[in-house]
Amino acid sequence: MCSGRIDPSLIMEAFVNGADGVFCGGCLLGECRYISGNYQAQGKILLTQLALKRAGISPERLTIKFMSSAEAQKFVKYVSEFMDKIIELGRIGKAENLSENELKLKLEAVRNALEGKKLRWVVGKRTEFMESGNLYNEIFTAHEIERMFKEVVMDEVDLQEILLRLKNKPSSVKELSEKMRLPSHRILREIANLKKMGLVELEDVSGSSPLWKTVDE
Amino acid sequence: MEEKLRIGVFVCNCGTNIGGFLDVPEVAEYSKTLPGVVYVKENLFTCSESGVNEIKEGIKNNNLNRVVVAACTPLTHEPTFRAACEEAGLNPYLFEFVNIREQCSWVHKNEREEATQKAKDLVRMGVARASKLEPKDRITAGVIPSALVIGGGISGLSAALSLANRGFKVKLIEKEKKLGGLVKSLYKIYPENINAEEYINQKINEVKKNKNINVFTSTEIKNVGGYIGNYKVKAENDKGNELNFDIGVIIVATGAKTLSPEGLFSYDGKKVIDMLQLEDKLKNDGISQYKNFVMILCAGSRNNERVYCSRICCMSAIKNALLIKEKNPESKIFILYRDLQAYGTTNEETLRRAKINGIRFVNYSLNKLPEVEDNTVRVYNEILGKELLIPADLIILATPLVAPEDNENLSKKLKVTLDENGFYLEAHIKLRPLDFSTNGIYVCGTAHWPASTEESTTQALGAAARSSIHLEKKYVMVEPIVSSVYYEDECRGCGLCASLCPSNAIEMVETPKGVKAKVIEVACRGCGICGASCYRHAIRMNHFSDEQIKAQIRAFLEE
Repeated sequence: MCSGRIDPSLIMEAFVNGADGVFCGGCLLGECRYISGNYQAQGKILLTQLALKRAGISPERLTIKFMSSAEAQKFVKYVSEFMDKIIELGRIGKAENLSENELKLKLEAVRNALEGKKLRWVVGKRTEFMESGNLYNEIFTAHEIERMFKEVVMDEVDLQEILLRLKNKPSSVKELSEKMRLPSHRILREIANLKKMGLVELEDVSGSSPLWKTVDE
Repeated sequence: MEEKLRIGVFVCNCGTNIGGFLDVPEVAEYSKTLPGVVYVKENLFTCSESGVNEIKEGIKNNNLNRVVVAACTPLTHEPTFRAACEEAGLNPYLFEFVNIREQCSWVHKNEREEATQKAKDLVRMGVARASKLEPKDRITAGVIPSALVIGGGISGLSAALSLANRGFKVKLIEKEKKLGGLVKSLYKIYPENINAEEYINQKINEVKKNKNINVFTSTEIKNVGGYIGNYKVKAENDKGNELNFDIGVIIVATGAKTLSPEGLFSYDGKKVIDMLQLEDKLKNDGISQYKNFVMILCAGSRNNERVYCSRICCMSAIKNALLIKEKNPESKIFILYRDLQAYGTTNEETLRRAKINGIRFVNYSLNKLPEVEDNTVRVYNEILGKELLIPADLIILATPLVAPEDNENLSKKLKVTLDENGFYLEAHIKLRPLDFSTNGIYVCGTAHWPASTEESTTQALGAAARSSIHLEKKYVMVEPIVSSVYYEDECRGCGLCASLCPSNAIEMVETPKGVKAKVIEVACRGCGICGASCYRHAIRMNHFSDEQIKAQIRAFLEE
């Protein structure tokens, strides 16, 4: 096994089960026994950090550091620094000002997003985009990859959060917008997308506001 | 119906290595409370004969179907404990190793309580994973007892001979018309002072006479398919004939070339020549008309464009300087260097001899490169701190060895990696210095990095030895820690896994259900990149599955 084995789904398993921080260690970049595994890990960690951030959870709770097996001191330094950081941040949810239920919902949303096909596809294609380019032979810089990740993550995490919220309780766009602290036009756009995909449906109309709910599987 | 878990936990004291720093009886006592655990035993040394017997008896007497040993590192004793399980009739992959020594007692020597708590956490995680383990069989595949050596220089010739003399069939492919490579252009090989041409011709003759070696000159590799033990190689010769080989292992000995000196230090090929031209002059007695020689080392290397050190040019220069002195004791030779690479006992001795023989060494820096003028070289001597004007009838540039452009092409066919300078990159600089990351392919000589004749030969013999392990065994056996397209219906045949696989172990195959990924188990090294990347979760990692790892994570976070 290699750090390339780190699946965002495994990281989220830790957070969902109460971890306050997750530290990933990999071999030095360029010295991977499996050539590219640590680069793959790097991409997946970045994606997971962005998804956590989008859900209002400090991305500093997740880190990846690279070192060789002969660099014990580096390892101790990195782990100690990380521990200090996590102690400074405090228990997950608290620092983020999230109630237990809200935290649970947010983490579930991030997990669902990261286990979803879209984000997995995007992070899987990262190497190709950076090395040989996309369909139009456009090579992506690290900066461009991050920007693309951010955009896709934003959509996916929001979408999963909406789905989870509407599963718990049918709500209007306005209610969702308040809960998620996002502008209502954004929520509306996501609802329209979800409706098109057949994932949400109209439950009821309260006053003049339509109430949406997640379609049961 | 699923069999009921009967887990046995063996906690090792390792003398005082573990027992001296944490409370082993407490860890053992705690293990009894873990779900599925029916038997716990504390050992003084689990790896000793009595310890191993205790595992075997524990399995037999208690019908254990999982074994967890909390001791040292899998690197040292995993095979021991797996074998113990196997001997007691338990599948060795139902064994889980928990490291409470390197990862616990040794690093927490002053924190007995915390170390004990951590050992408990580790055992709890191990037991959780053990609950999810599945029996596995080792994977074996046949090996075609034949090797392909690419490149007919000193490395390729040496590797081919070594394998052929062990009785294996070798196909030796050389892209040029003649065998011999770079050594053919040299005059003498130091430190033995042997005639390079005679030496290489002798090797070539041995190869040609050897019945186990088939030589194909003017031939290039067109395509490489298959995997360790079973490569299908297509080659083509200059007459356009296609050749097909079934091969077990491949050795890459494609060598390097010297950097063209064009454009460096007023190179003209007459008065300013490169080291190979000097070798040629030495061979053909072409130096008697010169008296003042200046050699410029690091010509075109260790600069922004080419940062690496070519290693061998210092010694080539010193060697040739001594040879000039031998032929013409009256000659004056200056060697302009930046740093001298005269490593090892013999090289250092040669350097000393050069100094005794009056060869002058002048240190220059990259910031103030020597300037070649009419009959003189102007150089700023870093040690004296002043400029020197050195008379020069013949100026020799020591240009570095560089990777041939063709490496790019061939490395893609072999699916092996190159480093940032275009040389072939080994799997691991210390652990597997002659192997490629792809199993069954090896590298030696200057294809790898600039190396002397001696080093190239050593590497060639090493690569031959490494590759012969598989040829000798006639089969490859790999750990069943490989990926599998377990949920095949989920696979859409997108090829993402195949493109990310660093071992070239996934092929896309036509099936009645469409194109699907298929893992070549003998080639897979179990890194897990494919499984972590499959967007449809179709791939499962055997022995390190999501379920197993998640069980460990949950067990850790249990309070």
